[in-house]
Amino acid sequence: MTEMNKNPKPLEEALRNALRREDAPEGFALKVLAHAQQQNAAQEARRTSWLSIFSQPPLRWAAVAAVTICLVVGSIYYRNIQRQRAEGEAAKQQLMLALRIAGTKLQLAKEKVNEINTSRPESQPQNRSPRSRS
Amino acid sequence: MSTAIRKLVPLILLLAFPAILRAQDLKLPPGIEKLASKAKETVEVNMDGPMLHWASKFLSAEDPEERKAAKLVANLKGIYVRSYEFSDEGAYTAADVEAVRAQFRSPEWSRVVGVRSERDGDNVDVFFKLENEKIAGIVIISAEAKELTFVNIIGPLEVDQLADLGGEFGIPKLKTKPPSSKPMAKADKGEQK
Repeated sequence: MTEMNKNPKPLEEALRNALRREDAPEGFALKVLAHAQQQNAAQEARRTSWLSIFSQPPLRWAAVAAVTICLVVGSIYYRNIQRQRAEGEAAKQQLMLALRIAGTKLQLAKEKVNEINTSRPESQPQNRSPRSRS
Repeated sequence: MSTAIRKLVPLILLLAFPAILRAQDLKLPPGIEKLASKAKETVEVNMDGPMLHWASKFLSAEDPEERKAAKLVANLKGIYVRSYEFSDEGAYTAADVEAVRAQFRSPEWSRVVGVRSERDGDNVDVFFKLENEKIAGIVIISAEAKELTFVNIIGPLEVDQLADLGGEFGIPKLKTKPPSSKPMAKADKGEQK
């Protein structure tokens, strides 16, 4: 009981000790900044090591040439496909035209024969119409 | 010497003729090809087998007309068309047409339709090439007053496809007479044989 009276709030005291403000150790801020700089430098180094391939002129020109060749080949291929499609469409139109002409002429032949058949009555098969069938 | 050569010429032509027929089945005389210069409009279509198959790849399966065309040309070996439209009558002679017609007076060809119209001068001939009782080729020669057309379709064709050819492709189907009436081809068929 006497102990309690001597130090009535031990928990409060312990908390105060734990949460008391302390200054950062000397050089802490510098260490943090140095660490951040190191990380930035490492990232930059990684980036530059990849891009450094193109820092050499021959490789740079090779890369430009490769891209140009890809573009040229791609455009030629695309044009070729376009040309083939256009030629195919033209061939299709020709085919349809040929079939239409053939159909029209067959139709004309049918029509002429029908005209002859209708102009010749069944009862007078010998009478010749103005059209003669050879 | 010259008479001997003169006698040999028909023989040479006779021997060379089947080869010409096999090559394209329809050989237009040079005079006919020259008509293109006189014509107001000329249509010339030359499509051999590979060309036909290539063209048919571009036919749409969704379009009914093109679907029928694809079916029709599937087994064909060639389509050749010459069509000349003239401004005036008399641009070609009967002899020009007869020279073409004469090519099909052979046993392998049958003239199924031959119409001669004295009224409007329209003459139409349809020849069928039959192999094993099946149509293996069609030639249509249409000589109208201001229009001259030759169509040669080489390859197997079914009869229903032929009906399609006559009734489709933008042309309404013509109602034919009932079977009781005179058959259309009876008088002409076999005439050339």
